[in-house]
Amino acid sequence: TTETRSNVTVPDGGEVAAFESLQFTDEIHRLISAPATDNASSFTALLELPATQVVELLHSPESVKLIVASAPNVEDFKGSFHFPSNTGLIQKDARFSVFSGEGNNKNEKSNSPEMTSKISSANLEKAVKSEPAETASSLPLVSDPTVENRNIKRKDREKKVKGSTKKSKTATNKRLEDAEKLPYVHVRARRGQATDSHSLAERARREKINARMKLLQELVPGCNKSIGNYIFVFKSFRIKKLIALKSPCSLNFFRMQTEFIYFDDYLRSEKSHVPQISGTALVLDEIINHVQSLQRQVEFLSMRLATVNPRIDFNLDSLFTPESGSTMDGGNFPSLVTPLMWPDVQVNGYRQQFQHQWHFDTLKQPIWGREEVCNNYVTLENSLLSYDSSANSGKITF
Amino acid sequence: MRSRFSLKQEFLKKWILGLQRCRSSKKNMSIFERKKVIKLSADVAMASARKGTTCWSRALIADAIKEGNADKHLAEKILGPASERQLTEKVPVGAMAYNKRIRSKKILKRSSVILRTIKCAPQAARPSSIVKRLVGKRRQILRSLIPGGEFMNGVSLIEETLDYIISLRAQVDVMRSLASASKLVNLN
Repeated sequence: TTETRSNVTVPDGGEVAAFESLQFTDEIHRLISAPATDNASSFTALLELPATQVVELLHSPESVKLIVASAPNVEDFKGSFHFPSNTGLIQKDARFSVFSGEGNNKNEKSNSPEMTSKISSANLEKAVKSEPAETASSLPLVSDPTVENRNIKRKDREKKVKGSTKKSKTATNKRLEDAEKLPYVHVRARRGQATDSHSLAERARREKINARMKLLQELVPGCNKSIGNYIFVFKSFRIKKLIALKSPCSLNFFRMQTEFIYFDDYLRSEKSHVPQISGTALVLDEIINHVQSLQRQVEFLSMRLATVNPRIDFNLDSLFTPESGSTMDGGNFPSLVTPLMWPDVQVNGYRQQFQHQWHFDTLKQPIWGREEVCNNYVTLENSLLSYDSSANSGKITF
Repeated sequence: MRSRFSLKQEFLKKWILGLQRCRSSKKNMSIFERKKVIKLSADVAMASARKGTTCWSRALIADAIKEGNADKHLAEKILGPASERQLTEKVPVGAMAYNKRIRSKKILKRSSVILRTIKCAPQAARPSSIVKRLVGKRRQILRSLIPGGEFMNGVSLIEETLDYIISLRAQVDVMRSLASASKLVNLN
């Protein structure tokens, strides 16, 4: 499945988006329905509770033993952490960041255009330890008939049901915190403090996000900056109640997988800033950060190119005319014959050296006669400039 | 990867052509003007590489040549003679209509939200409304970032964002390789 995805080209934004989201959801469903196939290297298996246990949890929310029993999953998950090396998924990073939220939404039947946000909020709610009033409201949204989603939904529903009791809230809290220390869970009864539900919920969520942050910081080495960003965002928006989104025990496998894929990508790419944490608001945050950073890079690079020392030795005249003379079609670059003296043409002149060597042979293969030193830098340019006449002929018009 | 490669190829071609076209009469422009020209030509080249298939590209070009813009003549020069600009004509008209639609929708939504908050104020603490608010805020920010983002609704906003991100990445890669190549030539 990942191989098929990596072979998918990107003809257009629209169809590919939907197509890939469907593929992604299919992938997810396949992975969900086959939990036992992977070993510990795939955290889907780690996070996947066996069906019987899920049912038990669902039907006996006040039972503490089951919470304890599921704690080792978190422990395993934390201990033997391994990013799923789906290269196909990793390559399509930006797209996946969105379709982690969207793909799941598209799978569920949505009638209104705003349903996506509603469903994503429902997704968020699944992990949120909200008051019992929420359980009823969000359950209709998550009633999805597909079998594959049922596991996720059931787990999330049981999370919500568990969340209705303060004791289980604390239990999951403790599980979070103890996931980093102990394999078992101490549960403190907090029944007497039921009146102070708000502060209790707040504290629970704060503890959860702290534990979550610590976990993330352990997992990803260079992640402190991004986590600092998110903390700042949290505080500025006062999202304390949504902190439960970041719970690692959030058994929404969908988000977890995309999340760790992005961490893997982040580890691999030093320059680009593509970490991601689940949740629609956070996904949007990440996207916004990414767009802003890219725009800033464009500004900076254009400034840098403007400072290029202009050498007016060459001009594009000699750059293009020999090409058009020998190997290109006649009508390819009609505007190229215009004489030009451009201060930045020094850069073009650099390319020109290579191009002269080019079309003495064929146009496709760049020749590195003179400058083998800068191969890796100019490879891109020259391959870019190997004008494939069949593909790009005559398409100069804007 | 091949599609990304051809995108970069096309972008580079159009960028060079744009730079060619908007060569200045004065030989020594200030560095900021040069930077502006470079960036503008790069943006326009990136947008035109999409050939009008995406909303952001159309909006970017339309923005560049709209009346109130200071660099309108520059953008027009980059884009070339008016006969080649077949893609940019349909943008302003459609954009205005859509803008009105969006505005009216926003007014409606705002009034409904006000009514709702008056009726059920304590329920604002619900996570769903909080999430909606947060997501809405971020959507607004995203709309301000993407060129022409105000004209898109929720789903198309995300798609446009994705396409925009891809194009931006290609643009950044090409520019970065150019910059490093020029640095190497300077060293030699």
